Amino acid sequence: MSTKSDSQTSDRTIEIATDGSVGPGTFRLLACCCVLVLTASYVSVLRDVTRVVGGTETLLTLVGAMLVAATVLAWAIRPRTATVAAVVAGALGFAYYLEYTGLGVEVLLSAGDVLLSDAAALATGLPLLRMVEAGVWTLAFVPAPVFLSWYLAVRGRYALGVVPGGIALLFLVLTGDAGTIPTLVGTLAGIGAVGCGELERRGGSVAQADLLAALFALIVVLSLTVTVIPGGSGTPGHFAGTEAGTLEGTIDHASDRSRIGGSVDLSPEVRFTVEADQASYWRTGVYDRFAGDEWVRTGDRSDYSGPIGGPPGETERVRQLVTAETTLGVMPAAPQPVSVDGEFTQHTRVSSHGQIHPNNPLVEGDTYAVESAVIDPGAAALQGAGTDYPDPIAERYLQTPEDTSNEFEARTAEITADADTPYEKAVAIEDYLRSTKGYSLEVDRPTGNVAEAFLLEMDEGYCVYFATTMAQMLRAEDVPTRYVTGYTSGQQVDDDEYVVRGTDAHAWVEVYFPGHGWVAFEPTPSGPRDSAHNEQVERAREDGAEDVDTDSSEDVPLSEEEPEDEPSETPSEIVGNNESEDWNDSDPDTGYGPDNETDGNDSSPEPEPVEPAANDSSVTDEEDDDGWLAALVERLSISREAATVALVALTGLVASVHRTGAVGRLRRTVGLYWQRRSDDPDRDAERAYRRLERLLAVSHRPRERSESARGYLEALAEESDEGVDPRAETVLERYERAVYGGGVDREGADESMAIVDELARERLPGRGQRGN
Amino acid sequence: MTDANPPSRTGTDRLGVSTVADLCAELEANVAEVIVGHEDVVEHVVTAMLGRGHVLLDDVPGVGKTMLARSIATSIDCEFRRIQFTPDLLPTDVTGVNVFNQQSREFEFQPGPVFGNVVLGDEINRAPPKTQSALLEAMEEEQVTVDGDTRELPDPFTVIATQNAIEPNRTYDLPFAELDRFMKKLHLGYPDPDEEAELLGRTVGHHPIESLEPVTDRATIVAARETVAETRVERPVREYATRLAGYTREHARVGVSPRGTIALLRAAQARAVTDGRDYVIPDDVQTEASVVLPHRIKAGDRERDGATVVENALERVSVE
Repeated sequence: MSTKSDSQTSDRTIEIATDGSVGPGTFRLLACCCVLVLTASYVSVLRDVTRVVGGTETLLTLVGAMLVAATVLAWAIRPRTATVAAVVAGALGFAYYLEYTGLGVEVLLSAGDVLLSDAAALATGLPLLRMVEAGVWTLAFVPAPVFLSWYLAVRGRYALGVVPGGIALLFLVLTGDAGTIPTLVGTLAGIGAVGCGELERRGGSVAQADLLAALFALIVVLSLTVTVIPGGSGTPGHFAGTEAGTLEGTIDHASDRSRIGGSVDLSPEVRFTVEADQASYWRTGVYDRFAGDEWVRTGDRSDYSGPIGGPPGETERVRQLVTAETTLGVMPAAPQPVSVDGEFTQHTRVSSHGQIHPNNPLVEGDTYAVESAVIDPGAAALQGAGTDYPDPIAERYLQTPEDTSNEFEARTAEITADADTPYEKAVAIEDYLRSTKGYSLEVDRPTGNVAEAFLLEMDEGYCVYFATTMAQMLRAEDVPTRYVTGYTSGQQVDDDEYVVRGTDAHAWVEVYFPGHGWVAFEPTPSGPRDSAHNEQVERAREDGAEDVDTDSSEDVPLSEEEPEDEPSETPSEIVGNNESEDWNDSDPDTGYGPDNETDGNDSSPEPEPVEPAANDSSVTDEEDDDGWLAALVERLSISREAATVALVALTGLVASVHRTGAVGRLRRTVGLYWQRRSDDPDRDAERAYRRLERLLAVSHRPRERSESARGYLEALAEESDEGVDPRAETVLERYERAVYGGGVDREGADESMAIVDELARERLPGRGQRGN
Repeated sequence: MTDANPPSRTGTDRLGVSTVADLCAELEANVAEVIVGHEDVVEHVVTAMLGRGHVLLDDVPGVGKTMLARSIATSIDCEFRRIQFTPDLLPTDVTGVNVFNQQSREFEFQPGPVFGNVVLGDEINRAPPKTQSALLEAMEEEQVTVDGDTRELPDPFTVIATQNAIEPNRTYDLPFAELDRFMKKLHLGYPDPDEEAELLGRTVGHHPIESLEPVTDRATIVAARETVAETRVERPVREYATRLAGYTREHARVGVSPRGTIALLRAAQARAVTDGRDYVIPDDVQTEASVVLPHRIKAGDRERDGATVVENALERVSVE
């Protein structure tokens, strides 16, 4: 082992010494760069995690230290030692993680299978962000692959160096954290490192890198087009993403991550009905970790087994009977559900926040009974709740993304300047958002931190924006909050019956008060929201869409509240629609009614043709009117991504063409039939002969290197039955005179060219074979 | 290597290429009246003469070596001398000797047989090396030094030496270095049965050599040699010759020396002229290489002899 490693060392030293030459030195550099890029690709994924949960600085310091250590130790220790060191480092990292999470290293002995199942859960798609201690895990994860891959790269073992980095990246791909771009970049870098390493080892030239380039292009184009194809698991929202395009999709599909989208539509279909003594917001999801553009639910779900722990304070038990009116992926319940009855109990799972979730989606008609412990503390009680938060609450619910700006915190502090207690702060923020921000479902999703953008830049938004911003603002003030999604109480159709539609989907905030538990706050201005949502229902009713009403909901007003003083964009429309409601009920089949009825007072022209409405009656009206032009322009203009892909594809094409030598072949083929006349007769005569030689190579055999021109023709004449065209002799003679003799004159060269032209044309299909 | 394209010397005695080509054809036809078959050898001897070279015929006795030399000498109307090398032959027997003239009371130079236009050195390997080298020095320098006096040899001066391939233990093999001075080493070999019958028919009565008429004269040959010397050798051809030589140096114990390359190109020049060209093409080089190069090569263990090395070189060295 030692001698082997010594000889490798000396080899390597020699190569470094010859680094001055372009070839191997360049490839060495390229290969090292590729390994670095690979490292960067998975570190960037981890950094995305730490940016949310904190620890970016530590992470980067750790990576830097590992790189330096690997460089320094590259020649000091042997690969086996390095591997052992990396494994030990990794093990120590995980031990630290276990200690930190309070499990203790001894858990390895007692609950190894649990750890294994954790790893399996991660590898089968549990995103890192959903881990409670994602930050610590990240720091434990990173050193080993960084160190080992860079160590091997410095030693010139590029292919081997790609392995640890590749495994790290693969793991992150399996957890679903590595997106398309980092994965692609990492993969390409890996291939590049291996390829460049090979080229360096075998002393390849830059021209030989064309295969690599072609391969790169192929991978890039394939992987990008696969995700672009509609129906593929591409980025939702770009292509008819029915889920993400609706508020419900954004808010709740019971998913563990809730992305904050742009403009949304609401489905007016009835989702479920609730029989309960009192109205409530029906909660379906709880999220604790904010990643800037999405909310993530950390922790795992467990099967429902007996009553769930309720709030610590005084509670009132509310029993609800929920009936799904459509397929339902959630289990709405008033907070805080404590027990579930009915046959659905066995399909119920409980999140770490105490929210119930169905194991399989409920289908229409499914019913379950749930008992909730509802708290209703008075303002005075909350005022006096204090800030004595339990550690688990403080650790988990005060998280803000690392890059939250000072400005955001300053503005929050300003708004809550007069507030002394957490309750006052919450009320102040709630009031501030309600009064200063407008309600609109048409929102351009901001890039970066949504809470920040909404507070500092945007003027309007919908519940998701309001709730997110409030939760983050309170966290900035060190008040534990969480973001919850669900439905508003819905349309009350009877004393104890509520019909809840898609339009009732909602998001709000829960704030923790010691001694009381989680208390809901509503930062969204309710008036504009209700009117905007009701409008959707009305329109759907007008359009005759199905499933908008249950038997009992048609005759009951949607909401007792009338639109207040909102800066709603089309108040008159709402009036008109409301008036048309009666008519609509009487003759639901005719779509043209509203025009007759509301001609007088419907100020909005609304020329939209009433089409057999799509299920999801969410056609955006604005686009229908004059949107086709914009759509056309949008379709014609090429996006930057498409241009990039096209460019890469082109590069790959060029590289593969270069690889196959197609250009040269084409030029030679064309040159066979056509020769451009130059100023130099000698050159023309020589080229004429070369063409003749290529013609003969096709019809007879190529000239051997050691054969002279004359010897070749003589040999052909001897070898073949039909012999060689006598005119070839003339061309040969001119060629010899041009190359070896005193040169040929213009006429001679022209004659040579003419002869070869003729010979070439005789070969063309349709002109008959020469000599036959 | 000297400049292969010397500046053209304007002279009334310069002949056109086609004239020389015709002359060669005539010459060869004339020689063919005496020598039956062996056209290629005759052509090689003629081109060697025009290329200022000397020829070594390596053969068994009695295949017409002497007759070949004589008929060429007769055909060009030049002085033919013959030296029969024997073990007791002295250098002065070749070069000539200063003899004291009793009448004039002075030493007079009595020219040896080397003072001829075409000199046949018969069975050169039977003489001791000292005597051999007397002839070889004359060949190289085209002059003879006797007792401090240097005397020019006549122009043209061509040596056709023969070497007896049998009786090896009674011969002095030519040193390798001196073999180099022959432009070509040729083999006549036995004639075909047909040719031999023809030969017998011709010689059974009156020997044709007796009635052979010259077809040209000494001055024309000198002029023709001038023409050959001015034949164009372009760079690609020179490089090809160099590559061939380089190949032999790499693949044999001793390869072709620069003197050998010069000889090769001179022979190629003569070959080009006999073909009616005023420029050398690689084919000329290829044709001449098989007779100009082999005797200059000491084959290694893997190749049988110099000829094999040259054969390989011609097969493997790229022409362009």
